[in-house]
Amino acid sequence: MGQAEKQRSALRIHLDILNAVREEGDAKPTHILYKANLSHDRLVKYLDELTGKGLIEVHQDGENRHYIITPRGVSFLIELRRAESFIQGFGLAI
Amino acid sequence: MGPFILFVLDLLSAAVAFVTSYYAYRTDRLADSPLLKAIAFGFMLLGVGLLTEAGTSVALGQTLAEAHISKLLGVIATVAYLSTQMVAYAVFAAGYGLLAFGRSKAAMVPAVAVVGARIIDFAGLYRFAVLSYFVVLVLLAYIVFQGVLIHSKARSRFSLLVLLAFTLVMASHAILLASVIALSGGLFLIGASVQFFGFLSLLVFLLRSGRVGAG
Repeated sequence: MGQAEKQRSALRIHLDILNAVREEGDAKPTHILYKANLSHDRLVKYLDELTGKGLIEVHQDGENRHYIITPRGVSFLIELRRAESFIQGFGLAI
Repeated sequence: MGPFILFVLDLLSAAVAFVTSYYAYRTDRLADSPLLKAIAFGFMLLGVGLLTEAGTSVALGQTLAEAHISKLLGVIATVAYLSTQMVAYAVFAAGYGLLAFGRSKAAMVPAVAVVGARIIDFAGLYRFAVLSYFVVLVLLAYIVFQGVLIHSKARSRFSLLVLLAFTLVMASHAILLASVIALSGGLFLIGASVQFFGFLSLLVFLLRSGRVGAG
């Protein structure tokens, strides 16, 4: 349990990123980086992963990139939040 | 009237147990935790046990506390119900044990099952019933203790609802144990009612935690 507390799981990071993107509506990488508290390399890795799974979409606006959550991403986020509150009841964390 | 009330209470409690088991299973597919697996399996067993008790009470027209002293079906149902309960709570206790102490305590589940089987070997059914309720009570005391530790850390309304549910179930088992010792159908019904309120608390927890995601 100690290790789980020290190290954030991939699921927790997915949840933080999806929360950040949904909260902003049209999120810049810097906003996600700040909200999800990730290094740039790890952020790129996770954004690619979430984009590949169809949970977020990239929109290119000139040199700027924005991320938008997809309907599939919203469903997954709801499922993750439910899971988070369910396991909280038993003393666990995502 | 008593067996019918027991049938309804058990049926509703079993439904909550199955829903909890399903939620735990679904969450485990995302989070992959030994405790969630234990919760899914344990509540499934509890649901099966409660259905057994519900069906037998209606079939015999008696609560299990009265039926196990007279009819063969009552004897079989009593052993089946008490065994599934004992294993279910042992699984929960093992799950909480894993959460608290790490994976090395995985041997707890088979160990408790073996002890349960040995109790049946040398004791009569009455003594088995008393002993199994006592064992379940001890396991529940451990689960409640873990629940208190978890809630004192987490301080969340969800951990409080789960703690309340297990505390009510523990109180119900103390009453059920007294009812078996006294062979009192009335006391058995009171115990089953308190257990039902425990499952009701679990239902509130499921509804509230389910509502969070949509926010």
